[in-house]
Amino acid sequence: MKFTFKPSPNYRDTLSTGRIMMELTAGLLVVFAFTLVLYATNADYGASYAIRAVFLMVAAVVTACVTEILWCLATKKDILSTLKSSYPWVTGIILALMCQVNIDVYALIASTIIAIVFGKLVFGGFGQNIFNPAAVGRAVIFASFSGKVAADFVTGATPTSTIASNGWLVANNSINVILDQFGGLGNLFIGNYPGAMGETSALIILLVGAFLAWRKVIDWRVPVTYLATLFIITLLIGTLHGVGFWYPLYHLLTGGAMFGAVFMMTDPVTNPTSAPGRILFAIGCAVLTVIIRIKANLPEGVLYSILLMNMMTPMIEKLTDGNQIKMMKKNLVSIGIFFVAGVAIACACSLGMEAQEISGPSVQAQGNVYTIEAKGYQGTNVFEVEVENGAVVRVECVTFEDTLGIGDNATSEDYLNSFVGKTLNDEFDIVSGASYTSNSVIEAVQSALEAAGK
Amino acid sequence: MAFITGPMRKHVNGHKELTSHAEVVKVDAGSKVLIPLINMGSTTVEVLVKEGDRVKVGTKVAVRNDHFKVPLYSSVSGTVKGIEKVMHASLRPVDHLAIENDGKYEEEAPLKPIDPNSASVEELVDFMMEAGIVGCGGAGFPTYIKYKGIKGIETLIINAVECEPYITADYKQMHESLNELKVGVSTMKKMCKAAKAYVCIKETKKDFIPTLIETFKEFNDIEVKAVPDVYPMGWERTLVYEVTKKRYDKLPSEIGVVVNNASTAIAFAHAMLCGMPIVKKMVTVSGDAVNTPCNVEVPVGVSAAEVIKACGGYTAEDVLLIAGGPMMGKTITSDAFVITPYSNALTVLKNTPVEQVPCLRCGKCSDHCPAGLQPVRINNAEKAKNIDALKKLDVMSCIECGLCTYICPSKIDVTEGVRRAKRYMSLQKK
Ligand code: SF4
Ligand code: SF4
Repeated sequence: MKFTFKPSPNYRDTLSTGRIMMELTAGLLVVFAFTLVLYATNADYGASYAIRAVFLMVAAVVTACVTEILWCLATKKDILSTLKSSYPWVTGIILALMCQVNIDVYALIASTIIAIVFGKLVFGGFGQNIFNPAAVGRAVIFASFSGKVAADFVTGATPTSTIASNGWLVANNSINVILDQFGGLGNLFIGNYPGAMGETSALIILLVGAFLAWRKVIDWRVPVTYLATLFIITLLIGTLHGVGFWYPLYHLLTGGAMFGAVFMMTDPVTNPTSAPGRILFAIGCAVLTVIIRIKANLPEGVLYSILLMNMMTPMIEKLTDGNQIKMMKKNLVSIGIFFVAGVAIACACSLGMEAQEISGPSVQAQGNVYTIEAKGYQGTNVFEVEVENGAVVRVECVTFEDTLGIGDNATSEDYLNSFVGKTLNDEFDIVSGASYTSNSVIEAVQSALEAAGK
Repeated sequence: MAFITGPMRKHVNGHKELTSHAEVVKVDAGSKVLIPLINMGSTTVEVLVKEGDRVKVGTKVAVRNDHFKVPLYSSVSGTVKGIEKVMHASLRPVDHLAIENDGKYEEEAPLKPIDPNSASVEELVDFMMEAGIVGCGGAGFPTYIKYKGIKGIETLIINAVECEPYITADYKQMHESLNELKVGVSTMKKMCKAAKAYVCIKETKKDFIPTLIETFKEFNDIEVKAVPDVYPMGWERTLVYEVTKKRYDKLPSEIGVVVNNASTAIAFAHAMLCGMPIVKKMVTVSGDAVNTPCNVEVPVGVSAAEVIKACGGYTAEDVLLIAGGPMMGKTITSDAFVITPYSNALTVLKNTPVEQVPCLRCGKCSDHCPAGLQPVRINNAEKAKNIDALKKLDVMSCIECGLCTYICPSKIDVTEGVRRAKRYMSLQKK
């Protein structure tokens, strides 16, 4: 008979860190699977894009695990037990989900290695790292590999890059030009538009997030505070500049806001451990997201806001240290001050902004020949369209600035000739793989027909 | 304000079904009982008998004799055999008075029964002291202290929550002693002059709440209150907050509240009605490594080994033998220790290894600490031996409830780290 001594308590909850990480992995993969379905069913993309996405995902996960294994070998640690308590694949998956499907696979692999080694292992491994490793990897891609794309896979302009090229604020009468391009706010919510592999669908991210919060895998306070603060700030900025309710929604639904809120800011290792600390952290992320978006005019403010707030985590922890019951008032005051100041600063940053008007294609008529300048994927394309009795007689491409070899499918003679005889009531075909250019051709033809009808 | 403090409590699986409906087993003392000469960690105890003296059940054999007066009584009839040093449930060797049991259980009521209705408050407080009534919640705090000269009390809270997993002793005791419960509670209410008394029990004890309500039907200022089935609902501060929504600094009397355990009320009533102090205890024997989990009624001074034997013995070779429940009870490395007047359970668990992984910094320990502390931050500060941080983290407010270790998904001994921090702090102060 043996009576073993163990310090109390001798009773444990069933929830384990291993299970938390497995459920997080499953959640991320559900988001990814949804993206695959979107790709496979998208007329522009198709199965080859879905396969490409899987290929990238596998590359990132394998790289993450292999990097960690090599590190174990180099530092003479037990491989299996380290892997089991270090979860490198999570970093790999998150990083892949933050990239677009046309990213160069070597760029992804290189940044994964950097994410694992410099984002995590040099700090002493899981639990010790200061920065979110996946965010480190993504920042490396932005900084070093931004031009590295696989030429066979074309993705269009993203909602964030589009609005960023217009100074992150467009006038009410122009927003539809942008929104139509991405299928409206409804589609921004569903996620069938160009963007990072895991970031586009607010719908699936919110569903998975709610499930994970219910399972106690992520702390619901962080996404709720972040999204609420982001909403309030952008609503105020929008109101200040007289633009409508679409503005805060655009901020919430595009870029990495949803994905970051649910999957990255909730990374427990790199955010504060206390409840008030997490609220401060999330508010800080929201304020910085807005400032970086509108001031630095970068398409992606979320990522940098997370990295910056990761740096602030130790300070926030110190601020909220203490008996939380006795500290409640102080914590509430800190949160209040931080929130008001953050909102004020972000709004102040927006003061110099002006809502831009986006003009449609410009049309010049000479008799029944119309010269149209239309925005394509990369540059401005100029077309000549001849119209008679409300129908197209001739379409010609005068100047063409889009990617050669891809966009030019849409300027082939066959394609242009397919417009002959069409009227405003007709449907137009889109050339798959060159949707941006063909959209711009269609737009040109439509504007010519409209001008002729006046 | 759970948004910024976390819930500060947690539902835990209680395994109460193992014992709550099992028959109570009466365990007789063996040939010898050992009365522990200790109260609340104080061993300043004066022995009133000497070797060879004959004692009966209820004979006053010793008294704690410092700033508290707590009498200790014999639980059997027989002959005093002297003093033995034995491992005590508080994990240290303590003097015990050995009494040889003649098996006759001759009684000698050491107290004169008192009529709670006609007696004055002072008489009742003196009686409570004389009867050696101590808090039955586990610590053994002398109950009369709470009532002596007390003023400005509005609310009496009777704690029948029993939030420790596995333990059902109070529940069983209440079942068997409804009249004593009624007398005890109403007398305590009279003693502290509270306007209102609440008898608090977990809302999940659905079968028993109607019985309780029926018991207190005649009093319109004693209310049965169902409280959430969470841990540590039975901790004074958590319970007081649940009932009054107020917090206090040191003692609940600051906000006009007195808290007592239901089994304390019963023991008090028992003493008033028949003049007998606590010489027997209802003890839950449960866990996954004991043959027949059940509640036992056992004289004070009987060893754990004898009690476990009466419950069919152990079912595993390597066990954790816990005096109390698995959350706050201590594991003891021998089953020779004895049942004390404030024992309420023996929990026997299989010794299963726990696999630890690095801290995820998930914050669950901080979110659930009932004292509002941040165990993960305390653990880190303790490792860094950062005394200033430890002070700021209010380490000394930890009640060692164990919830931080329970909840930790990385299976770290968080509570033990906090204890280390407390010890380190005490050392530094000297
Ligand atoms: S053991 Fe102490 S620190 Fe841990 S939860 Fe309980 S009171 Fe808080
Ligand atoms: S519960 Fe455990 S893993 Fe979570 S923060 Fe506390 S010590 Fe770390």
